[in-house]
Amino acid sequence: MNRALIPVLSSLVAILFLVSLLTGPAGFGPGESLRALLSPQSDAITLVMREIRLPRAILAVLVGVSLGLSGAALQGYLRNPLAEPGLIGVSGSAALGAVIALHSGLAASFVLALPLAALTGALISTLLILALAGPRGSSMTLILAGIAISALAGALLSLALNLSPNPFATAETVFWLLGSLADRSFTHVWIALPFMALGWVLLLSLTRPLDALTLGEDAAQSLGIRVDRARLTLIVGIASCVGAATAVAGAIGFVGLVVPHILRPIVGAQPGRLLPASALGGAALVLAADIATRLILPERDLKLGVLMALVGAPLFLHLIYKTRRESL
Amino acid sequence: MSLLTLTDLTVLRGICPVVDQATLAVASGEVVGLIGPNGAGKTTLMRAALGLLPHGGRSSLDDIPAAQRARNVAWLPQSREIAWPVTVETLVMLGRVPHLSAGQRPSDADRAAVTEALEAMDLITFRSRAATELSGGEQARVLIARALAQQTPLILADEPVAGLDPGHQIATMQAFRTLAAEGTATLVSLHDLGLAARHCDRLVLMDRGRIVAEGRPEFVLKRENLRDTFGITAHLSVGPDGLIFQPLETRR
Repeated sequence: MNRALIPVLSSLVAILFLVSLLTGPAGFGPGESLRALLSPQSDAITLVMREIRLPRAILAVLVGVSLGLSGAALQGYLRNPLAEPGLIGVSGSAALGAVIALHSGLAASFVLALPLAALTGALISTLLILALAGPRGSSMTLILAGIAISALAGALLSLALNLSPNPFATAETVFWLLGSLADRSFTHVWIALPFMALGWVLLLSLTRPLDALTLGEDAAQSLGIRVDRARLTLIVGIASCVGAATAVAGAIGFVGLVVPHILRPIVGAQPGRLLPASALGGAALVLAADIATRLILPERDLKLGVLMALVGAPLFLHLIYKTRRESL
Repeated sequence: MSLLTLTDLTVLRGICPVVDQATLAVASGEVVGLIGPNGAGKTTLMRAALGLLPHGGRSSLDDIPAAQRARNVAWLPQSREIAWPVTVETLVMLGRVPHLSAGQRPSDADRAAVTEALEAMDLITFRSRAATELSGGEQARVLIARALAQQTPLILADEPVAGLDPGHQIATMQAFRTLAAEGTATLVSLHDLGLAARHCDRLVLMDRGRIVAEGRPEFVLKRENLRDTFGITAHLSVGPDGLIFQPLETRR
């Protein structure tokens, strides 16, 4: 099981990617759709495949990889299976940036305003958390600073809703906050990809530090691991991943919490080996959930974030119930 | 050959010295016991010597880059942290981290070092068990094995035998002795003065941050020192079984 895990997860992601490409309200046949994707002509079906479904499937993979990887890395660093990438306050701040763009009318003036504002929010919160929990901080200051920043971002977001000039902006904001991959374009892919790629490289470089941290910070340091440098790498890595994911897809919870939790026993609990597995697992979960939103209520625009929480929370309860029974 | 030299090592907490101008040398082939009452500064002294704490004075380990230091000295902290339910073998393999370059997989030599450490700590049968499922004393042995697998010329161990059964306490001290015969030096903090008396070449007695006595066990464990630092009386005799030490009464 162990050694086959990465190939199994990779094939799962590939299959779900194909299914995602073939799922949609337009109702083309599978062969027809795939031929259209590769054909040089630009008829309606090719346009749908290339401009709507392909970016959507790619974004699902990017967002899933980013959230799964961030969750596994943060849990490994904090040595706590309940840590979630949102914990360091980046997703809350990115959401705040997006809401400001929606309310100020900036989002209506040009397409990129919303994701760019969200990225700015994420960047500001990252600088803040680096200042608070940077070189001389500890894992505890990281958690506390994250909670404080999340609370502040949440308060400012509520303020924006509270003072909202018109009900349409409020509705738009609330829907955006629910998280979705519908109606995204390749522009979104190109905005998110550089940040996410940077985040992936940084987080995957933490394999050995995270393994060594199993023994605690003191012992890891005595094994030659630069724990302070690992913390900086972690913060910047998660901020790029989660900031970019929130900027293009809104707030999508539970992926970073549930995926590492499910895969941990399969990789023998090693935090380093959990990183690539969690990245693929996250991609599979987001792809599957995004397909489900299109199948369950095709005409009601069911939001990805909502579905994820609906599936994620009971799954998480089940996992807690199972570990509780095992520990008895 | 001296493997660890501390010169006027001082650690301040605020303005209060927790370790006060400690000077100490540990040579190849020695097992040195670090003893003293709670709060005497034993852990702080060892952490500062390793460069894990900002300090005044000098430690001979200061100038060595972190990656190379990990091949020179192994550190066994007092807090026994095992964060994830990894197998015993995986955990002990972490001791080989300093010997692997980036991305390198463990070689046969690394696996041999792990097996040797598991054997020394009587853990071969636990090899594939999850480390977090073991008892406290068994976990302590796994962590000692991790430090042994690092195969460093110097080991600093903070109360490694606390919570172990008598058999494994003796086995642990004997493991340090066996390594000493091959040239390894060990600085080990201990609260069991009987074990310290029997298994250490030399004892270093700390009280309120200062090193107050140093030398052969029978010299350090003399009546005045025990009275002034621990506030106890004790029986100390040399018989056919070697040095026997037994604390008797508290004098406070």
